[in-house]
Amino acid sequence: MVRRVLSLVSARIAAGVLFVIVFLAVFGKLLAPQDPLAGGPQQLAGASWHHWLGTDYLGRDVLSRLLEGSRISVLGSVEVALIALVVGAVPGILSVYLGRAFEWLTLRVADTLIALPFLVFAVAVTALLGNGISQAMITVGVLISPLFYRVSRAATLAVARSQYVEAALISGASIGWIVRRHVWVKVLPPIAVALAQTVGIGFVVVSSLTFLGIGVQPPAPTWGGLLASDLRYLHYQPYAPVAPIVLIMATVWGCNQLADAIRDVSGEAGRALLNTRRARVNRVADREPVSVEGGAR
Amino acid sequence: MTAGDPTQKEKTMTPARRTPRARPATWMAALAASSAVVLSACAGSGGGAAAGGSGGGSPTLKWAASYFPTHWDPVVGGSGAQFRELALVYASLTKTDANGNAVPDLAESWKYNSAGTEVTFHLRPNLTFSDGTPVNAAAVKDAIERAKTQKNSALFGDLTSIKAVTTSGDLDVLVHLTQVDYQIPLLLGERVLQVASPKAAADPTKLDQAPVGAGPFTVTQLIPGTKAVLKKNPTYWDAKDIHFDNVQLISASDPSTVVAGLQTGTYNFADLPASQAKAATAAGLDVFVQPGFNASNISVNVNKAPFTNPKVVDAVRYAINRKEFVDKLTFGYGQATDQPFPPGYVAYDPQSGDLYPYNPAKSKQLLAEAGYKPNQISLQLVTLTDDPAAEIVQSQLAAVGIKVSIKVDKNWATPFFAKDLTFSLYGTTGRDSAVQTLTAHFGPNGVLNLSSPYEPAGFEAAVAKVRQTPLDSPNYAKVLQAATRAGLQSKALIFDYSAPNLFAKSKSISNLPKNPAHIDWNGVTISD
Repeated sequence: MVRRVLSLVSARIAAGVLFVIVFLAVFGKLLAPQDPLAGGPQQLAGASWHHWLGTDYLGRDVLSRLLEGSRISVLGSVEVALIALVVGAVPGILSVYLGRAFEWLTLRVADTLIALPFLVFAVAVTALLGNGISQAMITVGVLISPLFYRVSRAATLAVARSQYVEAALISGASIGWIVRRHVWVKVLPPIAVALAQTVGIGFVVVSSLTFLGIGVQPPAPTWGGLLASDLRYLHYQPYAPVAPIVLIMATVWGCNQLADAIRDVSGEAGRALLNTRRARVNRVADREPVSVEGGAR
Repeated sequence: MTAGDPTQKEKTMTPARRTPRARPATWMAALAASSAVVLSACAGSGGGAAAGGSGGGSPTLKWAASYFPTHWDPVVGGSGAQFRELALVYASLTKTDANGNAVPDLAESWKYNSAGTEVTFHLRPNLTFSDGTPVNAAAVKDAIERAKTQKNSALFGDLTSIKAVTTSGDLDVLVHLTQVDYQIPLLLGERVLQVASPKAAADPTKLDQAPVGAGPFTVTQLIPGTKAVLKKNPTYWDAKDIHFDNVQLISASDPSTVVAGLQTGTYNFADLPASQAKAATAAGLDVFVQPGFNASNISVNVNKAPFTNPKVVDAVRYAINRKEFVDKLTFGYGQATDQPFPPGYVAYDPQSGDLYPYNPAKSKQLLAEAGYKPNQISLQLVTLTDDPAAEIVQSQLAAVGIKVSIKVDKNWATPFFAKDLTFSLYGTTGRDSAVQTLTAHFGPNGVLNLSSPYEPAGFEAAVAKVRQTPLDSPNYAKVLQAATRAGLQSKALIFDYSAPNLFAKSKSISNLPKNPAHIDWNGVTISD
């Protein structure tokens, strides 16, 4: 699966971008050239050898704050995706096998959650439970989970009615064995697509919340928070928002490209697509060279 | 139109001959007209100066307010910055002039008895509130008593000198005092006694949503927290000095959009954070500083550890570098202060200047003497908003070995005014009566005293002495500064800087009177 995804150029670029972002999230603190929380006398200074991206309104090094801020932003989006996966996919698969009451109940819960605006709800929950990134991310993860519920349920339904699953049931296989052996492998590709998309959505949500000052307490840097403070001093540093914007856009773009690539190569259609591409490449490679004159004619 | 009118003659020309020749001209005229419309629209959106008027209608003040009133009942609103917006609707007994002296507003004159324990305000005759209720002595008595007794009053603590209010005839209000207090005419100004119609105030909840006063304007539409539309009040006693007919008061919660709003004509007047002053000046707007008494502070609760130890409080005092606040937060418009007044104000005590200069070494030494190792003290600084001042406090205290975490709490007001917080930030826009400023900060029940009921020794006596001193006494400044000195013995407040009262306006609005801390619209004009 991984090899098939990486056979696409767009996937390789997206993976490269996301690798850099994850690298920054893990090692950002170590890479930061200066203390991201230590202010200096040079307020809102432009780029210099000492401060590659200038300084902020309290004289702190912007590059160091961006590097430090990557961890919260990335971890928050991953947290959203994993919570949504666990809360959504497990009941999605089980709803096919655990009887009509469980199915009815989970479907109604999923319908209810879909109706709730997750950003507004996250703001409300942080107001209620305290201003923390975990509270906000758990809320958003739960509210996005119907996506995984529906994806996994649809894939499971398709597999559950296939003849080899029915044969396994007749021959006495347990539900758990069938899910592990037959269902999971079929459900995995659409879940992987949803997961990549959800990380992107989670990133937008984290950036939006931190832009509004929700989820983190100052002076902890985040990309959304940096963007918000940059906008307050736009007349002094009109270029300042570019760096956090580029990082946010690159991350979301990478997640979406990866989701597209997984979708393109998964299932029968994906295999057919790859085979067609390979065949086309082979045909071009096998073709006899054409003379310049012939080509011109 | 007469028969000899040339325009009429032109209209009577034969259409058959005129139409073919007129067509290109008509197109040209239409093109010119549409170009004019487009160009005028561009001029209107791009030029701040052109945006000042009302676009052809009667002149309108379009005020973007960062402090949009949360309450329109002045008794609930209190003495804070939003009194400026409420002053559009409500008049008060007195107001202040450019020197900060009390001058007549609804009261034409006032007179103390010889003992200084009673003051009689004589009202202007034949005035009415905008709902038609007469502005008389009974209405003023009702306003004072409501401020003293209403359950959710934010003003009762400022009126402790008032024992009772009686009336004499229709126009005389007698204010009986619990002590000699010559501050009363200053106190009963716009910050403490904006007078509401007693008929409307019979239901304070309704008044809070539909204000009725005798001020220069009346509210015609109020969208809570967002926008208020007002029109000129023809029954205002000084209506002849109000030179524009309409006001739109708009909440501008995001300061970064205010300058753009002023440039496009969405607003023509706004209060401005210092960070936006450069952009406003570059946009060709009038940027000006209205004189005032602003002072920001770090509030500590001496009833809670570790501030129960005076050496820890002093360590925090010596750790504060006021210059950094001024440089990074006020962009050159503010000044450092270690008192609840800016330097130069009559109540500022020069003897107490620089009482606790920035000295991190001494701060560390005091912490060691108090028995604390570096980073042993962890404090939570609770603020209402994401305030850069909190980050400065955090970094300055970190430098001396005090760990501070910042908590932004949207419900900050509840624990702060219940005196439940240990460590916080606050500030004042001042009061017309310096005594009111002092008691609010250092008094046992002061709203800005996080350590209530704590008060510094000798403060009450010093304040009483100020109250007993007539405002025109040659000793007044000396006595007042002595009271400030006594108040500054308080361990509960550490003053750091004075932010400017910064405003930006379209050039179409004439200059405002320089009444300190006030926004007075009398005499101000808005050109089209």
